[in-house]
Parts: sequence; structure tokens; C-alpha cells
Amino acid sequence: MFRNLLAHPVRTVLTGGSVLLAVFLLCFLRATVTALTSSVEQASTQRLWVQSAVSLLVDLPLAYESKIKQVDGIEWVCKWQWFGGYYKEESNFFAQFGVDPETMLKSYPEMEIVSGSYEEFAKSRTGCMIGLDLQRRYGFKVGDRVPIVGKIFPRKDGSPWEFEVKAVYRTTSAAIDQGTLYFPFDYLRESIEGGSAWGDVGIGVFLVKLRPGADPTRVAAAIDLLFDRGPQRVQTTTEAEFSRQFVSMMGNVPLLLQSIGGAVLFAIFFAMLNTMLMAGRERTRDIGVMKALGFTDAVVFRSLLGESLLLCLLGGGAGAGLAKLVEAGLQRVMSAQFPGFAIDAATVGVGLGAALVIGTLAGLGPGWRARGLTPVAALREGI
Amino acid sequence: MDHLIDLRGVTRAYQRGGETVSVLDGLDLQMDAGSFYALMGPSGSGKTTLLNLIGGLDRPDSGEVLVDGTDLAHLGGSALSRWRADHVGFVFQGFNLLPVLSALDNVLLPLQLTPLSRRARHEQAERALALVGLGDRMHHKPRELSGGQEQRVAIARAIATDPTLILADEPTGDLDRSSADAVLELLARLNEELGKTILMVTHDPLAASFAHRLVHLDKGRLGRIEDNPERRPTAGRPA
Repeated sequence: MFRNLLAHPVRTVLTGGSVLLAVFLLCFLRATVTALTSSVEQASTQRLWVQSAVSLLVDLPLAYESKIKQVDGIEWVCKWQWFGGYYKEESNFFAQFGVDPETMLKSYPEMEIVSGSYEEFAKSRTGCMIGLDLQRRYGFKVGDRVPIVGKIFPRKDGSPWEFEVKAVYRTTSAAIDQGTLYFPFDYLRESIEGGSAWGDVGIGVFLVKLRPGADPTRVAAAIDLLFDRGPQRVQTTTEAEFSRQFVSMMGNVPLLLQSIGGAVLFAIFFAMLNTMLMAGRERTRDIGVMKALGFTDAVVFRSLLGESLLLCLLGGGAGAGLAKLVEAGLQRVMSAQFPGFAIDAATVGVGLGAALVIGTLAGLGPGWRARGLTPVAALREGI
Repeated sequence: MDHLIDLRGVTRAYQRGGETVSVLDGLDLQMDAGSFYALMGPSGSGKTTLLNLIGGLDRPDSGEVLVDGTDLAHLGGSALSRWRADHVGFVFQGFNLLPVLSALDNVLLPLQLTPLSRRARHEQAERALALVGLGDRMHHKPRELSGGQEQRVAIARAIATDPTLILADEPTGDLDRSSADAVLELLARLNEELGKTILMVTHDPLAASFAHRLVHLDKGRLGRIEDNPERRPTAGRPA
């Protein structure tokens, strides 16, 4: 089989190369889709999100916090406010949230501090905690002052906000990204109330941590009921549902990516089938010789099928290997939009599985044709 | 002498352009073990079809094809493949070596179907190549050999498994005279020294002159069988 592949090196390299590219692309797309959906799959059932029933873009009154805390089954509430600024230039965009430091970290046992001190962050007024990806991307270190230009909450003197890096975190869950900057919400509130910044004091979402054993559905219903008569109605969802809404805001991206991957595989299947049909036809005489020598139809069939599988697995293996090789680089590029992007074993398995399926399907036709040829017909046809 | 080949009432017809063309028409023929036969006749007389039937490459429409006591018409596909591997060596006009394999690997090909160890297979293949005088060219690919050398590799492949019967279809048809003579000398030696039964289809009277017996076919029927009174001497045997 190897020698047959080597008999036409250019064709083998081109066909194997197309399988390589297809499997590489498949691994990349699958990792992207997995990163998108894993935030939903890995979301905690112990956290609820309370947002405006109108839109995520509409803030809730600050006073809602104390009312929410009164609902039975809640351990604590953490305020989250979207800041929407940028670092030096607008192209340097990443997420920033004003939060309650005292409840933020304990709401997320999936987060751990890798440098600096969370306590320092919690007690500071202008400190911030950044994700590991953000540190890698911009080289921020503990003690650095990070200037952020506020777009929603600009400072009245036109200067950027400054946050001192007090802690760097990493996560073990795809539900939380490592590219976010968290700072104390009170710093934002005091700045607005003190007149040094524009904007309104409000809360984008309240994160609700449930008591162990509390029923998320019942608690969510109770919170919604609390504000059923206004002044502003709320919508309480589980973290999974909240993440799903966030993903759906991008349109049906997973379906689009899967469709692209499917189309590429379909095209490669036809390229592979064409190669194998050519190989089968070119070797009709050789097939006749093998049959004349006593090789059975089954052996001849397996020979062509095996050749197709070998070519696809070599190309597919190289494609999956390449994806794994450049994984770290891709993660750096993708982490801001797709936290949790990874070429994991399952993705490699899917890539190799696709190559296996293409190889099998592309080899079946030529193999079946060769199997059905009589030695005389094959020898005569191959002249 | 026993009949190695016994054909009884063999008929074979093909469909060509919607017409049925009879190629062999009730052929009866017996051939002895250990002889060298030349099968002669004009184009379309059924020589190659007969060779294919005796070699188990094709099946008769009716009649019996008995080779060494086995009725080939009643063997299934896989059994017939195994029978070919065990009993027949083929030599084709166009050599039909696999171009991607070396001479040695081409000769090893039929040996893969034997229960021999890898080492024994290699020894046997190398012996066969040495016998045809190509022991020093075994690692060459077919395209690196002359036509005569290619045909000698094909003969080495045909004898590698030590078959009872060697079937050669115009083995010198693509060769110049001197290469053709060398190949025919080799076939004659295999017949004389190793006792192989050889059935060779040929148009060429010079090629036929190496055979013991001449079988003439005409329009699918047996013409005559005659001893070859003018058999050519080989290197080891006087005329």
C-alpha cells in the first residue's frame, strides 16, 4: 500500500495535504464550537443571574440588592456592572466589570489566584484582579497601573481610570474566561456619586449564590415575583441559561461553524474518492495480475480500501497533529473571544474519526469495483 | 503417462455488441504431465480462452475442465483463487510485473499466499531469480530492466511457488529475437530439468519449435495434435 502511494508522490502529497487541511480546519472549528458551548455546559447550577426583564443593556436599581438578599435560599449576592472601557486604544478591548470583591471570588471556586493577593484586591479601592490571558496578552504584572478609558463611564477630567493590578487569576472552568479585569464596584459608584465621572449608578446583573440544597427554579421564581409589580421587572436565570443567551446573541454561530466544517469534509471526500477511483483504474492490470496469482477478491478489496484509509489517516493524523502543535498560538489569539479554546483529545479523536470515515467511504467504491472484476476482464481492461 | 489436463466438451462464448460469439465449441483435449505444449492457431481461434480456462482464470459455459483431477468448473471463487496459487504459474505477453515493486518483491508476491516463513519465502524467491539468471538484478524495478529481463522475472514469479503447470500466453510476443530465444530456452530448461508441464500460446513457429507437442486450434475446435519433429536443441540438450 505504501509503495502504491509512493508511486504517485505528487498526487499522494496533494490529496494527503487536502485531508490534512480539512482535519486541521475541523479541529479548529470544533474547538471553537466546544469553547462556545462549554461555557453553557460547565455553568454552575448554584449560581443565578438576575437581570432586567427588558434587556441585559438596561441597568437595575442598586436598591434591589437588599431585597434579593431577603429571598429564602440565598447565601449571598454579588453586584456586576459592565464597564465597557478600553486600554489605551479602542482596539485593545477586553471585558471589565465592577464587582463586590468580598463575594466575587468565593462565588467562583473554579477561580484561583496565581500571583498577587486577593485580600489586597478586596481591601483596595482602586485595585483590580486580571485574568492570566490578559497578563499574557499585555504583560501586566502585579503592581502595574492599568489605564482604562471609560466609554460608558468617562471621567469628567478626560483622564483614563487607573486600576492597580493586585491579583492575577486563572480558572479551571470554561464558564469563566481568563481575559477579564475586575475592579471594586464601589470605586465606580463613589466616582459617579462624587461627581468625578459621568454615568448612572446601576447594576447590570446581580449574581446570586444559592445555599446548598436550595432549589434554583424556586428561588428564581421567588426573585422574579419580588419585582413583578415594578418599578422594574427582572428576569432570573440559571448561569447555564444566562450563558446560553449570551451565546445566542452571536446568532447561531455553532451551527454556522459546524456547517462550514461539514462542507469542507464533503468536498474533501469527493477529492479523495476521485483519487482512489483514479488509483483503482490505473491499477486494473495489477489487480488482474494479483487475482491471476491467486489473491482472492477479498484481499484485493482490502488492498484498495487499506490504501485509501492509509492516505486519509496519514493526512488526518498530520492535520490533527498540526492543530495540536499550534494549539498554544491559537489559544493566545482566540482566548479573548473564546475562553476555554483547546484542541482536546476528543477534538483530535473527531478529526481522526472524520479522516477514517472519509478513507473508508472513498475506498469502498474502488475496492468494490476491483473485487468484482474477473482476472480476465481486469487483465484485458488494463492493457 | 497420466493426463494432467483433461477437457471434455468445453464450450465458451462471449457477448460482443449484442451478439453471442462462440469461442470454444465442444472442445475435448488431453495433455500429459511433464510435457511442453505449444498451442497454435490463427487469431480468434480460442487459444487464450483455452489457456484461461485451464488456468482457472475463466469458467466454461459447459463441459469439464479437469486439471490434476480437480474440476475447475465446480470450484467457488476463493477456492479457485487458492487453486491457482497452488497449481499454476502464469507468464503473460506483456510481462505484467507490478511496476512499484522490485524484481524480488514481484517474485515474492505469490509466495505471500504460502505458509512459508518470511525467511523461507525470501530464499525461494532469490533461488527463482538466480535460476532465471537475474540474481544480481533482484532489487531493480521493472522499468530498470530490459524486456527480456522483465519476462525472466515474470518466469521466476511463475515458478516461485513450484507449481505443477506453467501457462504462458505469447511469452515472446513483445521481445526481440535474441531475448525471445533466451526466454524460450529458459522455459525448455524448466520443463526438462524441473519437470514442469508447460502450455504456451504462440503464433511464432520458431517459438513453437521449443515444444514437444503442437496443439492446433481452429475456430474453437481442436485441429490436430502432433509431436514436434523439429524440436530445437537447448543449451543442455541435443536436438
